[in-house]
Amino acid sequence: MDTPSGKLVRSHCVGTTAVVYASDYLNKLTGEKIERECRRQLNCGCRALVIDFSDTKLVNSIGVSILLGIIDVAEKSGARIAFSDVNSQTVQLFEMLGLTRHVVLAKDEREALLNLSHFETTPIVH
Amino acid sequence: MSSRSPSENFRRILGRVVRQDFVGRAGELDRIMAQAEPGNAGRGLLLLMEPSAGVSELLRQAYDEIFNDRTDVIPIYFAITRNETTAVSAAIEFLNTFVQQYIAFRRDEPVVSHAPLTLHDLLELAPPADFEWIEQLVESYNRLRFSNDDKALVRFCLGAPQRIPAGRGRPFVMLDGSQLAEYLNGAVVLGTEILRVFGRGGFSFVLAGLRRQILEAAHDAKCNFELLDTLRLERLDATEAARLVEHVARRQQVGTSEAARDLLVQQFAGSPFFIGIFLQAAREKHTPLLSYLDCERLYVDELFGGHIHRHFADLLEEISPRLDTRHLLIRLLWEAAAGEEQTSSFEVWRKRLHMTGNELEDVLHRLHVQEFVNWDETTVEAGAGPQAWKDYLKIRYRLDVLNEPRALVVADMLADSLKRAPHTMARHYKQIANAGLRDLISRFNCQRVPAVLFDYNTFSNKYKGAESETIVSGLSAETDFFKLPQTVHLASCSAFINDMRQICEEDHCLIAHTFEEGTYSDAQQVIWLAADIESKMEVDVEIARVWLERLENTAGRLGFSRYQIWLISNEGFSAEAATLLVRRKALSSSRQQLGLLASRLGETPLTPVVPSAAPDEFLMVVPMGEDNELIAANTAEQIAKRLTFRPEAINQIKTAIVEACINASEHSFSPDRKIYQRFRVESDRLVITISSRGIVPANLNGAHSGSETKEAAEERRGWGLKLIRTLMDEVEFERVDDGTSLRMTKYLRPQKST
Repeated sequence: MDTPSGKLVRSHCVGTTAVVYASDYLNKLTGEKIERECRRQLNCGCRALVIDFSDTKLVNSIGVSILLGIIDVAEKSGARIAFSDVNSQTVQLFEMLGLTRHVVLAKDEREALLNLSHFETTPIVH
Repeated sequence: MSSRSPSENFRRILGRVVRQDFVGRAGELDRIMAQAEPGNAGRGLLLLMEPSAGVSELLRQAYDEIFNDRTDVIPIYFAITRNETTAVSAAIEFLNTFVQQYIAFRRDEPVVSHAPLTLHDLLELAPPADFEWIEQLVESYNRLRFSNDDKALVRFCLGAPQRIPAGRGRPFVMLDGSQLAEYLNGAVVLGTEILRVFGRGGFSFVLAGLRRQILEAAHDAKCNFELLDTLRLERLDATEAARLVEHVARRQQVGTSEAARDLLVQQFAGSPFFIGIFLQAAREKHTPLLSYLDCERLYVDELFGGHIHRHFADLLEEISPRLDTRHLLIRLLWEAAAGEEQTSSFEVWRKRLHMTGNELEDVLHRLHVQEFVNWDETTVEAGAGPQAWKDYLKIRYRLDVLNEPRALVVADMLADSLKRAPHTMARHYKQIANAGLRDLISRFNCQRVPAVLFDYNTFSNKYKGAESETIVSGLSAETDFFKLPQTVHLASCSAFINDMRQICEEDHCLIAHTFEEGTYSDAQQVIWLAADIESKMEVDVEIARVWLERLENTAGRLGFSRYQIWLISNEGFSAEAATLLVRRKALSSSRQQLGLLASRLGETPLTPVVPSAAPDEFLMVVPMGEDNELIAANTAEQIAKRLTFRPEAINQIKTAIVEACINASEHSFSPDRKIYQRFRVESDRLVITISSRGIVPANLNGAHSGSETKEAAEERRGWGLKLIRTLMDEVEFERVDDGTSLRMTKYLRPQKST
């Protein structure tokens, strides 16, 4: 596994849903990069977030802590969030730390976008 | 004078250790050697020594260097010992030593320097060219010896180096133990006479003595200070003191561990004297010093009856020769030191010790010179002196004054010393960790830096999670600058307000006196109050407010009219806290901002990787940080594959290792910033031990923080250990003195489901 410090966070938008790709190792540094990107997307008007873990082989507890922070931020912004393509070891870790109670897990990006598509079309009532 | 690299022909004469084993005083040795240069002919050097700093070996090494150099400089080393009872006997001994060492040098026969010879013997050994003047010297001495004029005899003996005829070399006299000269019996005050004769003798000299005493003696002797230089001799810094422990331990054949070595350095505060006698005691008692328990057992033995005991007992006896007064003195010293009010008046001391004013002045002067008290003629402040002195006083008080059973006092002292040891090291590690802040503020000198480095909220919004290159280029493009002031004085907050010791470590809160634009006027003077708040997470608004008010209160108490508060935290501040700080005009920085600021004012070094390996066991040392836990995790993966662990189990092992490494990095205030890893392969299991040096976190080993209102976010950061316990089959903290050692075992056939 490469040290991921030097990599940028990949992302793209599908409608008002932003898809953000986590790197191979999710730690404090890469977690903060994802957080920064998610905040940026929310500030740009995104209403839903997909964080894709297809490249992610290892996640540490600080990374999980930051993911919980992102979930908080998304909730406060009225946005929904889904995680996609999480490997079984990482799912086990998320379950141990209670993350799966707060987020939808999808098999892949397509399924995640599908899950969130209903929300995307529902108007927000303040 | 030749360079000081020892050659094969270098002869050890008075030095007790070989040149290579003499560590920690290279600069001071250079300075003494420079004093012997022709350019310093006729000048004196006063070595102002902190008590227990150790000077004798330094002077003996200088003697050997000069002797071996074979220039026209003739080294003379004389130590006044406690065996001398009068000024006359000490002066006669000096004369004898001078003649002996002069002849040894002239004959180039080191053995003559320390052979037991009389003046008559020496005359026989004198080289023909020197025979006449030495004979005259001895005859004059014999005449004066029976003249009943002690002062003339003392001056004659001390002035002997002046009598070396021109062209036979320049004497360089090094006098050790001059603090003892003041208290010799007889009508002549030897200390004053030494300075008077040497100061006017026209030869170069070094006079080593306690710093509070020697300058006073120079004033009393009306020395010409234009011909006197001074050199302060203080305790060794931690690195040099650690080297000293290693060298002395090797020489004394005493086994030590790194943890024990560092404890000795801190416990004896880098004192070469205490380190030396302690390791000597270890050799005499055949005691290896591998653990804190080894060290403290010997320490307590030493306090009750070893070298340390004798050292303090001798000093106390000199200070107060009468037994009954000595008991009263011990009682007064301990009660004053242990009480809340350590300062009392001269009159209180006089009444409690039942002494006349003159008697008490003598006692206080001696205590003051030894730095056991601070005495300014009217008030006496107790509680000073090294830790060993305080411990010695305590046991003497309990044994002699309270008459407590010896076994109880011994047991209590051992238990107290053991309990104190981790705290001593923790204090040291925290000082190291915070040395960066102290160093940083001391380097403020009107530099212009991006203002965002002092504003966490703005920094976080702009740069949190950004690439380091992005941050660096972003900072370069910043247009809003902050001009640092010039720091002229920097000290711990607790040096100004004693109460702060209860609140935070010494180097966590600093007060810097600064001037804007480097202009020294009232209008430009600003006092910086900087506090480094310990927190693994962003500091919340309540804690920020507490610190803000604490520092504002401190500024008020100290009468600072213009001040600047600067709060620092590892992970910065919550948005609400940052807003509060901006509103109250306080500066705020995270550790990352501090690092960026430091890199603008100077660089910091990185630790290299040191890997090693053995059959069935793989050892690896990696520096903390930089995602190095991945190196450990990947190594474990390769080893686990050999044992045919399932992929799922391998991932669990990797995650556990990553968590253990993060814990080690986050919690330990590690002095060496390294993580030590041991992978042991057994037929049915993989045993991994992750160790680091530093502070043992309070929440380990089942200890509970006790906080009911712990933030959820902070709890998340305590997940590491919980995860490790879930992912591995056995998890155990091994008992180590210094830091933590976590042993994790994974079985090939798991004993429990995960």
